[in-house]
Amino acid sequence: MNNLYGFFMEPQNFSVNDGEGIRTIVFFAGCPLRCKWCANPEGLAHVDRMSHRYEMCIGCGKCTIICPEGVGNNLNLPVEREKCILCGKCEDVCLTGSRKRLVKKYTVSEILKILERQEIFYRYSGGGVTFSGGEATLQQDVLRELAYVLYDRAISLAIETSGYFEFDDIKDILEKLDLIFIDIKHMDDEKHRLYTGAGNEKILANTQRLNELNAEVIVRVPVIEGVNDSIDNIVKTARFVKESIKKPKMELLPYHSFGDEKYEAMGMEKPSREFKSPSPEALDKLAGLIRAEGVKIVSYK
Amino acid sequence: MVTDRIEKIRQNYINSKPAISYERARIWTESHKKTEGQSTPLRRAIAFRDTCEKLDVKIFDGELIVGATGEFRKCGILTPEFSWVWVDREMDNFDKRVQDPYVMTDEQREYVRENIFPYWKGKSLEEAFLAQLPRDTAIVAVDTGIVDNDSKWRQAVGEITPDYEDVLFKKGFGGIIREARRHIAELRDITSENMKKKEFYESIIITSEGIIAYANRYAREARRMAGKEADVKRRNELLNIADICERIPENPPATFHEAMQFVWFTQVGGILSENPLALNVGRFDQFMYPYYKRDMEAGEITRDEVQELIEALWLKLSEWVWTISANTAEFFAGYNQFQNLTVGGKTRDGRDATNDLSYMALLATERIKTHQPGLSVRIHQDCPRDFLDAVMHLVSKGTGFPAIHSDQAGYQMLINAGYEPEDARDWNNCGCVVPHFRKTGEWTSAVNINFTAALEFALNRGYSRITGLKIGLDEKNPASFASYEELEEAFYKQFDNLIEHSVIATLVAQNLHKQMVPRPFLSSCIENCMDDGVDLVDAGAKYNLGPVLTGIGLAVTSNSLAAIRKLVFEDKVADMGTVIKAIDANWEGYDELRQMALNAPKYGNDDDYVDSIAIKMANHYYKEGHKYKDINGNNFNTAFMGISNYLPTGKVVGATPCGRKAKEPLSEGVSPFAGSDTSTPLAAMRSAAKLNQDIHSGGTLLNLRLSEDLVSTKRGQGNLGNMVQTFFALGAFHVQFNTISTETLLKAQEHPEEYRDLLVRVAGYSTQFVNLSRSMQDAIIARTAHNKF
Repeated sequence: MNNLYGFFMEPQNFSVNDGEGIRTIVFFAGCPLRCKWCANPEGLAHVDRMSHRYEMCIGCGKCTIICPEGVGNNLNLPVEREKCILCGKCEDVCLTGSRKRLVKKYTVSEILKILERQEIFYRYSGGGVTFSGGEATLQQDVLRELAYVLYDRAISLAIETSGYFEFDDIKDILEKLDLIFIDIKHMDDEKHRLYTGAGNEKILANTQRLNELNAEVIVRVPVIEGVNDSIDNIVKTARFVKESIKKPKMELLPYHSFGDEKYEAMGMEKPSREFKSPSPEALDKLAGLIRAEGVKIVSYK
Repeated sequence: MVTDRIEKIRQNYINSKPAISYERARIWTESHKKTEGQSTPLRRAIAFRDTCEKLDVKIFDGELIVGATGEFRKCGILTPEFSWVWVDREMDNFDKRVQDPYVMTDEQREYVRENIFPYWKGKSLEEAFLAQLPRDTAIVAVDTGIVDNDSKWRQAVGEITPDYEDVLFKKGFGGIIREARRHIAELRDITSENMKKKEFYESIIITSEGIIAYANRYAREARRMAGKEADVKRRNELLNIADICERIPENPPATFHEAMQFVWFTQVGGILSENPLALNVGRFDQFMYPYYKRDMEAGEITRDEVQELIEALWLKLSEWVWTISANTAEFFAGYNQFQNLTVGGKTRDGRDATNDLSYMALLATERIKTHQPGLSVRIHQDCPRDFLDAVMHLVSKGTGFPAIHSDQAGYQMLINAGYEPEDARDWNNCGCVVPHFRKTGEWTSAVNINFTAALEFALNRGYSRITGLKIGLDEKNPASFASYEELEEAFYKQFDNLIEHSVIATLVAQNLHKQMVPRPFLSSCIENCMDDGVDLVDAGAKYNLGPVLTGIGLAVTSNSLAAIRKLVFEDKVADMGTVIKAIDANWEGYDELRQMALNAPKYGNDDDYVDSIAIKMANHYYKEGHKYKDINGNNFNTAFMGISNYLPTGKVVGATPCGRKAKEPLSEGVSPFAGSDTSTPLAAMRSAAKLNQDIHSGGTLLNLRLSEDLVSTKRGQGNLGNMVQTFFALGAFHVQFNTISTETLLKAQEHPEEYRDLLVRVAGYSTQFVNLSRSMQDAIIARTAHNKF
């Protein structure tokens, strides 16, 4: 039994878009960045947050009866949110899953047990496990434990990272991985700071250092209209990737607003409506520019 | 693209309505009037020959493969010797009934009522069965939806695969006649057994003469039409057809075209002889390959011509309409005759068997989009990637085809049933999802057993909640069950009782088939029947397996037991009495409790809490069913097959503790209850694979619905292929996918005229969506679509 624990969102089995084959995505909670368009707001902090999906609530009132703090039916009212102590009692009595903790504590053993049931699918599809988040490297002890055990089981491992970490602290973990997705959200340090709350210096430096590893590297750009979709920024990104990575590859991920309902459920303010998805034509054009710089475009579709 | 010819035939086909022809019944009846007093096998053989000699000859426009079972394009025939009572009772409504309507005119009805049915009064299989069935079994087993075997006393058995490799293509029916004569000459000792054998061989000679005569009449018609044909190309085609029909099926086929025509004549023979369910084509790519190879190497045929002939056969296979009662149609919806055709897999000596024809069969189904043949593929673990990809490509087209089977599980099922390894390796699919072999006599769908009804009886003192009738055994007040174990015991008591009645109903039917409806034509297509001089009904085949009991509602019943265990005996949020009141009230006024029941663990999510209940039930089912022996001394077998039986069986069961409301559909095969497999398709597969599928030699079935965009890319299809291989590695036998968007289905409901060729998978087979009743369509839409990869 490995009782080391961490904070996670629900692992997602049967994922086919984040690496080869059929994979399980293990979402680590907690993130050093504060991207204004974040699609997984529950993963910002690695603490519990009770969500309340109002459209699923049937108004039975069970949660209000059991709540020790006297929180009313609509947890998303700021006044009710303040009272919530995250004891989780309401989730236990909720009939429809309207109240739900989106972040949960799992031990390493528990995560491994979930993955074990999927292993045969990895074997047949060339899939494996992808660590994501949040930012997986923020909980480096748990990540290390998982990566080491799974590596010894010869399971293909990938990570999706913001690139915001101390390289030397986790280099041993990265060495266990087959595939690294790293985000470059903007080449302009100022703008990066404006949109994510941090500069890009560390991220760019880490991207370059990935060459010290044997893993395949794919630089991902979450493309958001008006934020980072300018020709100038994309070409600069491509040039940087070409110069920094031995086998330069990029993937463009168009922004989507699927995360909006999670903001609502957690009583948080939704991202600005100004964030928009680029058109498929615009994406094609950007992909063309990237290829012209000698960078391969990949897509797991 | 299909050729213009095929497209014209296809359009002609899909725009025709299924219609009833009484011609076969008329000739059959007139023949029987002339043979009174003769033995049953001979009378049936003579009636068959008379039918072959007198039935209208009909060559439709542009056809390359010819032969019709009646005057209509989509043609259903009557077999009053099996049952005329239900036809008489139901035919006034044939064109009005909800599921599988047929066109029948008042003149036709008048004719059969005056000239055909009176003769059969008191002589049909149905009447004999109902007269002989013990009363207490009849209460449980006649038109109840609880134990149902009416397809075995209102219809012929079918469930057979003609042996092309070792019998038909080797000998031709001319050779069969010579062989029969030789046997008769050799049977010199005067014993009762030998006299019976002689009679058998005589019946075989007569049916063989019949099918040859039928072909020769088509040869004459083709020649006559050629004489009047202005178009030179068509004239030559007709002359070629005439030549072919003169040579085969009397002689073994020499060319691919002859072999194809031979297959269709054999199907027609089977249809005219008994209108059977599941008259399978068998391993098409294997027995046809030598002819393909020969013709290609000789430069006598092109690949395009082969493809066109395959597509022509597909259309012929779709023409025949199975004439069935409204009750049977609920169980076997969609005009489906279950002519299963298998491609892929391994050879008898264990090598990969895939060849060009395997791929061409997939392509034909993709292009023709009719519900026949029931295309099945065998996938082994080392199957060529190209073939796996081609299968997944067809899946992505949303026709519901093919039924995808594990080569290894099919082999294991037959080994467990006592087959020799070479024969087990040579398995083909029967009907929907039954592993089968061409030297086998078997009732592969003998009875449908409603598992959930057993639970209802346990929870309602033996009474039906819907009808209020006492059908089950006595039971105590359900509110007084003090433990889960006690409830479980009560359930199994009722369950075993249903199996007992299923066995009784089957034995009565088996005995009557033996006496009343011997099968000379189909026996002539099976090797050992010919060698030993024994008809199929007398267990003449090399392998005679026990009848298959088909279980329905495994998921619903397991979910219900799990819900009670959790809510009443573990969490104690409700007592037994409250749960009973709630289901008595069809959950009205018990919204909260129902919500809790819906939240309880559900089969299909890889949750051992409920999956273990399902495993126990399936294992118990096998043991209990297997302990009984049929009239030939063979153990009964079990299956979790599909068909559309989960709808009618649901209509007769009240609300269930899993949260299901009264009369809603149950669950099919080993599939989860519709909409309750909310995790991933991988979890649904894991749940299904836990069930020791290979002990259920009658087959198992898993249906999943995938959102169409999941398989819209090559990579999506690639992942699906890998997923299927994983499922098979876990020991499972079958999976089939519907990949049509809900949006498309809703549109098809609204504008059926625009979606006449939209094929969907019902269960173990596919049929045109617009041919299904509204409730059946709704049930298909309700299946959970897995749209998250």
